[in-house]
Amino acid sequence: MHTCDLNVSINKLSKIEGHADLDVVIKDGKVVDVDLRVMENLRFFEEAVKGQSALAVPTLVSRICGTCSIAHLTACTEAVEKTLGIKITEQTSVLRKLTMHSLMIRDHALHLYFFVAPDLFGVDSALDIPEEHKELIHQALHVKEAGNNLSTLVAGRSVHATYEMVGGFSHVPEKEKIAPTIEELRSIRPMVLDLCEIFYKCDWELKRKTNFVALVTDDFSYLEGKIKSTTGAVIEEKNYWDHLHKVIIPYSQASGFEFEGEEFMVGSLARLNLNKDAMHADTKRDAAKYLAVFPSDNIYHNNLAQAVEILHSIDHSIELLQKYDFKKEEIVKPTVMDGEGVGVIEAPRGTLYYWLGVNGGKVRYANLIIPTAQNLVNMREDVRQAVTNLCALDDDRTVLENKIRKEMEKMIRAYDPCMSCASHFLKINWK
Amino acid sequence: MNQPKKKVGVFSITCDEGCSIYLIEIFNKKLVGWLEKMEIKYFLSMKDKVEIKDFDIVLIEGVISSERDLREVIKIRENTKILIAMGTCAMTAFPSGQRNNFNAEQLERIQPKLKEFSYLPKCLALKDAVTVDDNIPGCPIDEKKFIEVFEKHLNA
Repeated sequence: MHTCDLNVSINKLSKIEGHADLDVVIKDGKVVDVDLRVMENLRFFEEAVKGQSALAVPTLVSRICGTCSIAHLTACTEAVEKTLGIKITEQTSVLRKLTMHSLMIRDHALHLYFFVAPDLFGVDSALDIPEEHKELIHQALHVKEAGNNLSTLVAGRSVHATYEMVGGFSHVPEKEKIAPTIEELRSIRPMVLDLCEIFYKCDWELKRKTNFVALVTDDFSYLEGKIKSTTGAVIEEKNYWDHLHKVIIPYSQASGFEFEGEEFMVGSLARLNLNKDAMHADTKRDAAKYLAVFPSDNIYHNNLAQAVEILHSIDHSIELLQKYDFKKEEIVKPTVMDGEGVGVIEAPRGTLYYWLGVNGGKVRYANLIIPTAQNLVNMREDVRQAVTNLCALDDDRTVLENKIRKEMEKMIRAYDPCMSCASHFLKINWK
Repeated sequence: MNQPKKKVGVFSITCDEGCSIYLIEIFNKKLVGWLEKMEIKYFLSMKDKVEIKDFDIVLIEGVISSERDLREVIKIRENTKILIAMGTCAMTAFPSGQRNNFNAEQLERIQPKLKEFSYLPKCLALKDAVTVDDNIPGCPIDEKKFIEVFEKHLNA
C-alpha cells in the first residue's frame, strides 16, 4: 500500500476520437482528484442551427462528428420527422437499419483493431503489431472496408452520408451490387468471430457496480424502442431528458450527466447487458459462448460487446439485403411546419438524443445529449477505482506512475469515447 | 537504390475529424503499399504523440479557431517540408468555422466561451496563417483527389 503523493498528467490521450486530457492527484496514497477534461474547441452548433430550415439541419449536425456522422444524421432526421408529422415507409425504415449497421461495423472495427489492439500486444500502434499477428491488420482492413462498402451502397458514403434525408432516401441500393455486398459481409464473418475470441480471452478486468442504460429495440436495430436501465426503469424515448441531469466538469469543454441521480454507462456493454436476447439468430448461434459473458460489470467487456455487435450487424444486414426488393420511392413530405419532437437512437457509443423545436419550418432550438457526455462521470469514477487498485500494489513510485499512465489510457479507451461529440451540448433557448 | 521513407504526420485541429476518419477508410486499400514509402510519425488516431519535428509531409485537417490551434500550426509549418491542407475546413475555414457567419446577436451569446478558452476573433483557414503547399478538397476529402495529391508528394 502506497503512502506517496503523486500527480499524473496525461496531455492529449491518444487512440480515442478527439482531444482529452487527464489529471490524477494522489495524496498519502489516496486518490483525491480525477480531472478528465474534454479539450475539443467548440464549433457552436447550438447557434448555427437556429433559424436554419429543419429539413437541412440533419446534414448540418452530421458535421458534429466525422466518426459517427451517420448517427447524428439519423437521430436528427428522426427528430425532424417526429416534429413535422412525417411517417416513414417500411423501406425507409429498412434502409435506415442498414445504414446504422454499416456504421456499427466500421466504427467498432476502427476502435477494436486500431485503438485497442495495440494494447493487446503492448505496442503503440496497429502498425507496430508483431509480424506473427500481422494478419490481424489485414483482417481489420477487410472488415472496415466491408462496413464502408455497405455504407456507400445504402447511404452514399460512410462519412457525411448523402442519401439519407428527412422523409426517406434519395437513392435505393443498386440491385447488381446487393449480391457482392452480401458475399463480402459473409467473407468477414470468420474474421469477426476471431475478434470475438480475442476479446473473450483477454483478461483485462475492472469491475465496479454501476447502472447501464440503453434504447432497447425488438430486433437490436438501434432505432425504435424504449429506454431501459439495469435499475428497472422503462422510459418512452420522448421522456428521456426528464431522467437526466447535467454535471459540470471544471475547465472542460463538455459537461457530464447522471441518470436518476447516479452515474451510469451507455454503449455496447449497456446494450448487451439489457438486450442480448434480441440479437440475430445466427449471431446467437455462433456467438453463444461470448454472449454468455453478459450481463457484466467489467468495463473491458465493452470491447467484447462491440465485437459481438459487429457480428450481429453483419447478420442482420445480410437478412435485410436478401429479404427486400428495394424500389425507388417518393420522399414523404411534412404535414405540419411547427412543433417539437424527439429522436433517440443507439449510436455506436450509446444513446443519442435530439430534441428539436421548429417554427414555420425553421429550427427555433435544438438540444442534444451525446453518449460520451453521459459516460463522463462513470469514466471518472472508474479512473478513481482503477488508480486506487494500483496504489494498493507494492510498486515503487516510478513503476506506479508508469502503470497509471498506461492503464488509465487503456481503461478510458475501453469506453471508446468520442470527444469531438462530447463537447456539444446544445442549450435550450426558449426565445 | 531505395529512397528513405518519408516521415508523415496527420494533425487535427478544430473540426469533426471526418477527414482523418475517411483517410483511415482510404487506408483499407492503400495502406500496405504506402507503408513501403512512408513512416507515420504523428497521427493521434493511430499512435501516441511524439515531438513535432522533422516531417517530410504533413496533412492538417480543421480550422484554426483558438490561439492554441494557431501556435500548433505555426510549429508544424516550421517542422515540415510539405504542408497539405486536408479537406474543406483546412482550405476555406468552413464548415467548422461556421461562427464566422454568425450575426451580432449570436456572436454576443458565444462571447463568454470565446474568452474563456482563448479563441481567435475569427476562425482561419490554414493559408491565412501559414504557407500551404497543396490542397485536398472535400467534406470529407475526395478519395481520388487525396490519392492523387498524396502520392505525388510521396513519390517526389
